Amino acid sequence: MSDPFSGDSAHKKAEFVAEVVNHTLHDLVIRCTKTEEVRNYYHVAVLGYGRQVWSAFAGPLASREIVPIADVADHPLQIKSSYKRVSDGASGWVEIPVRFPVWIHPAADGKTPMCGALARVKQLLERWLAEHPRGFPPTVLHLTDGESSDGEPFDIGQEIMSLGTDNGQVLLFNCHISSRRAPKVEYPTDESLLPDGFARTLFRISSPLPSGFLAAAAQLGVHTVDGSKGFVFNGDPSSIVQFYEIGTSLTGMTPYRWMDEITEPE
Amino acid sequence: MSSVKQSAGWELRTQQVLLPKSGFESSECEDVIGIDEQNCRFAVADGATEAFDARTWAQRLAENWVRSDSALTTETFHEWVANEGAALHSAWNQLTLPWYAEEKAQKGSFAAFVGVELDLRSESPSWKAIALGDACLLHCRHGALLKSLPLSNSASFNSAPMLVASDPVFYKTSADSLVIDSGRCQNNDLFFLVSDAAAAWYLERFEQNDFLDILRDNDEPDAAKFFENERSAGRIRDDDIAVIRLEIQQRSIS
Repeated sequence: MSDPFSGDSAHKKAEFVAEVVNHTLHDLVIRCTKTEEVRNYYHVAVLGYGRQVWSAFAGPLASREIVPIADVADHPLQIKSSYKRVSDGASGWVEIPVRFPVWIHPAADGKTPMCGALARVKQLLERWLAEHPRGFPPTVLHLTDGESSDGEPFDIGQEIMSLGTDNGQVLLFNCHISSRRAPKVEYPTDESLLPDGFARTLFRISSPLPSGFLAAAAQLGVHTVDGSKGFVFNGDPSSIVQFYEIGTSLTGMTPYRWMDEITEPE
Repeated sequence: MSSVKQSAGWELRTQQVLLPKSGFESSECEDVIGIDEQNCRFAVADGATEAFDARTWAQRLAENWVRSDSALTTETFHEWVANEGAALHSAWNQLTLPWYAEEKAQKGSFAAFVGVELDLRSESPSWKAIALGDACLLHCRHGALLKSLPLSNSASFNSAPMLVASDPVFYKTSADSLVIDSGRCQNNDLFFLVSDAAAAWYLERFEQNDFLDILRDNDEPDAAKFFENERSAGRIRDDDIAVIRLEIQQRSIS
């Protein structure tokens, strides 16, 4: 994979992140598709933050914050068409037409008001949990490329993690990405390898990965152990892809292996 | 229709249980039972939940295979699957689908399949079975398990079995896992054709020397309640359940 972070271009980084998020939404829709119907196994919100905090959905969903996955499926901003090479089952490849729906645009916007963004997340969760007190708890996948510019996020992170359903507390996973050549730390169990106070704060507001997520990590070849936290520091592009794949793979919801194994990696 | 494979010398008692996952309608059940007593063919197919139109694919496999005269050798089965798959995909092509359904349909559908043909025409009757996936045939005699295929122990079941694919490209990758076997039957022999959750349950009972022939002592509705209770108690995984029980008996000569 070429390094989309090289040259320290904030725009290239935002483009890559938008592509991963669009791919993740696409994957969730396909997982929830039952013949011609999309079942609402997920409700999804996508927030961006920079100069302000905003719902990143564009197009028909622009005014909405938490959207049932069936509505996500039916209201992409745009559907792009292309071809994808897949194995023909023997030794060759065949090209099949594929469509790439797009729901969010790339956005890079200066500051990192992490506390404000997490406060907005908390607000959304409180509202949603009041209506959905039962079932698997919400998962928050927080991706940042810098330190918080509006204060220490520890307290608001703890407040988010204290929310929950009858099935458990909200899962908050954090992925910090960096263009620097600093060593990355993925899914640690303790703080010993973390370089500074900011990294330790993010570690402390990261939930341990439940067993279903550990199994998903193993499937992807990502090393985790019991007690590993949903936390990446100084991550690279592949860290982001894996972070979203692990963070959205609930037990029983992962695609059958036959769907993935014979598809040529893009 | 093929020749009748039953005879005056042998009698076949057939029973079945079909249950959707708890909380689901029977129209949502992706396990399908195929029975053709005239043709002496019996089959269970289990559509993969995450696949496109899995129930229809399972229906085609189970219901059309039992009516077929062929598809009991590797080559004829491959050819038969290819024809069934083409017919299914052709039906889909008539539909106008949203992008997500179209994408899912491109990968085709998937199902586990097991079928058995009994030949009761001779004094020494026989069986021949074909299976791909984790739906199983169990052959039992005097309360003991003689054979189980394609899986033979309760720990072998996982969430990613090789399955019968409707798309020939995907089918090629699983075709080598096709299992074909045959054997002889005796008076009072039992056969069970079962989808994965119930197969794991039966095999576990045999492994614990605690075989329970629930359909021998109960009618089908009571047996269905029994399986429902076992599932509620967590002894059977929460999944669709399909069971066909076949009992072979020699007719008494009066």
